[in-house]
Amino acid sequence: MRLPAILPPSMLAGLLLTMISGLSLADERTVDTAFGKVTIEGQPQRIVTLYEGALDTALAVGAHAVGAVITRGGTDVADYIKPRAGDIAIVGTPGETNLEAVIAARPDLILAAPRTSREQFELLSHIAPVVASDIPLFQPDTWKRETRLYAEALGRAGEAEDIIRRVETRAAEVAAVVEQAVQDNERDAILARWMPQGPMIMSTGIFSASLLKAAGFDIRGQSLVDEGRPHSQTLSLENLSAMNQNWIFLATLNEDGRKALDAAKASPAFARLEAVETDQVIPVDGQLWTSASGPLAALAILDEIEDAVRSRP
Amino acid sequence: MAASLLVALIFMSLLLGAGPVSITDSMLALVRQGSDEARFIIMELRVPRTLIAMTTGVALGLAGALLQSMTRNPLAEPGLLGVSAGSGFAVAVAILLGATNATLTTLVAQIGALVGCAVVIAATRVHGLGNDPVRLVLAGATLSGLLLALTSMMMLVDQRAADEIRFWIIGSVAGKTLGDLTSTLPSIILAIGIVAVVARPLAAMALGEKSAVGLGHHPGRVRFLVVLAVALLVGAATALAGPLIFVGLVVPFIARALAGPDIRRTLWYCLAVGPCVMLAADILSRLLVVPAELPLGVLTALIGAPVLLLIVRAGRMPSL
Repeated sequence: MRLPAILPPSMLAGLLLTMISGLSLADERTVDTAFGKVTIEGQPQRIVTLYEGALDTALAVGAHAVGAVITRGGTDVADYIKPRAGDIAIVGTPGETNLEAVIAARPDLILAAPRTSREQFELLSHIAPVVASDIPLFQPDTWKRETRLYAEALGRAGEAEDIIRRVETRAAEVAAVVEQAVQDNERDAILARWMPQGPMIMSTGIFSASLLKAAGFDIRGQSLVDEGRPHSQTLSLENLSAMNQNWIFLATLNEDGRKALDAAKASPAFARLEAVETDQVIPVDGQLWTSASGPLAALAILDEIEDAVRSRP
Repeated sequence: MAASLLVALIFMSLLLGAGPVSITDSMLALVRQGSDEARFIIMELRVPRTLIAMTTGVALGLAGALLQSMTRNPLAEPGLLGVSAGSGFAVAVAILLGATNATLTTLVAQIGALVGCAVVIAATRVHGLGNDPVRLVLAGATLSGLLLALTSMMMLVDQRAADEIRFWIIGSVAGKTLGDLTSTLPSIILAIGIVAVVARPLAAMALGEKSAVGLGHHPGRVRFLVVLAVALLVGAATALAGPLIFVGLVVPFIARALAGPDIRRTLWYCLAVGPCVMLAADILSRLLVVPAELPLGVLTALIGAPVLLLIVRAGRMPSL
C-alpha cells in the first residue's frame, strides 16, 4: 500500500519513532511475587499502594500513586510523605482494605503488603495486577529488596538503583558525621517505644534500626525480641536496665514526642538511665521510624539521625 | 491465719519480680545492702506497688462488702456493676482533656464512681430487678459495655490519650509512685471512717429494714453514706490501679466464708483478705511472662471469674 503523498517525510519519521517507543513501553515483564509470577506491561499510570513501603517506593521512583492506606494510628498517609503524595485517595488501613475505594481509584497496578492473604490477593486481582512482596521481613536489606521488587513492577528498575545509591551515599555521609562527633565506644543505642507500663524494645531488624546501623550506631536489645517480631513485649520496669545504652531513640505514634518523653521521665526507673542524664534520649516520630519504610523514609530518617548527633550538647 | 498469709505475701511481693534480681539480692536490698540496681528495684519499684496493691485490695474489698450488704446481693461488685467502669470512663475523659495531676484524677475517678453507684442503685429500684442477683449483674454488664464503647470511641479521637487510656482500662499497679498513693490516702481514710460509722446500722439492716428503724437507725441516711463510701473507695482504687473487676467480688466472698454472716466481722476480714488477693494477683502478673508483665486486670479476671460461677451455681442463690 502506498503512503498518502500528503504526509511529509519528517512527519513520517516522527510517526515511526512514536511506534518504536510505543513498542518499548509495551514490553512485558514478569515479576516474582508472593503469589507466583505476575506479568505487567509498560509503566503503569494509576497505582494503588496498600503498604507504606510501596507508596514510598512508588513516589521515590517517580510513579503516580492514586490511592494509599493510612499510616498506623493516623488518619492519613504519614506526615513525612504527605507533601509528595499530594491529594491521594485513602483506600484503607494497613490491616484492612476498602475494596470499593480501590475500585473507585481505577488502578492499573496494585502494590500489596507482605502478608497479604490469598483471599485478599484473589479479590484484588479482579481489579488489576497485584504485586505482593514475599521478601522476609525485619532483615537489614528488606527495604532495598522491596524497593527493587516494586520498582520492577512499576517498570522503573533503573530509578530504583539510583535512589538506593542515593540513600547509601547519604548513609555514608551521616556515618562520617557520627564517626566524628561520637566516640567509638559511645555509639551503643537502643530503639524503643515508651508505653505507660514500660518500654517496648524494637527489633534490630526493623527498617529504622538498619539505618541507625548504617549510620554507625551499635543497636542493642535483639535478645529481648522474639524471632520474626517487630518489637518485644512491653518490658517490666524492673528490666529497664536493658535500655541502659548511651543513646535511646524513643518512638511515639503521636506527633508530640516531647510529651511522651516527659511522661517517661516522670517514671523514676526511666529517669535514672544514663542517656537521660546525658540528654541523649532522642524522641522520634513513630510514623516515620516504626511504621514507614522505603527510600524516601530512609532519607528522612538519616536527616533526623544527623540532626540528633549534630545538636548534641 | 489471714494475717500470717498476708505477711508472707508482702515478703514475696518484695522479693519476687520480673527483673534481674535474685531473691538473695532482694533480701540484702531490704536491709539497705546489695547492689545499686537491686536497691532501686526493691525500694522504688516493688515497695510502692506492694503498698498500692494492698491499698486497692482493701478499698475494693470494703466497697464490695458494703455494696453486697446494702443490696442484699452476693454478686454486687463494683467491677461487675459498672461502678469501676464509670470511674474508669471519667478518668478517660480527664486524660483526653489533658489531665495529668494525680489528685485531680482521684477526684474525677470518685465522681465517676458516684455516678456509676447512682445508676446501680436506680437499677436495684426497678421493680423485680432488685431481688434477682443475676439480673442486676446483667444490668451492670450493660452499663460497663456502654461505657467501654464510649471509651473506645474517645481513644480513636486522640492517639496520645489512647496509649494512656488503654493502660487505665487494663489495670496495673506497676510504674506507680508513692506520690500517687499519698494523693488517694485522705479519701480512703475518710471512707474507712464512714465505714466505721455505718457498720452497725448496716448490720441492723441485715435483719430487715423495720427492725433497723426500730433500733433507731435511718436506712435512707445509711444508704447514702454507703454509696458515698463506695464511691470514695472505688474511685481511689481506680485512680491507683485502673478499673479492676472481680476483686470486690472475691474478697468479700472469702471474708464472708471466714467471718460468717455478720457484716461487721466481714468488713474486718476484708482488711486482711483484700491485700492478700491483690498481692497474689500482682505477684503472679510479674512472674508468668518474664521479662514482660501480664496486666493485673487479666489476672484478677482469671481469679475472679471462677468465683462468680461458683456463687451463681451454688444450689440456691443465696440472698443476703
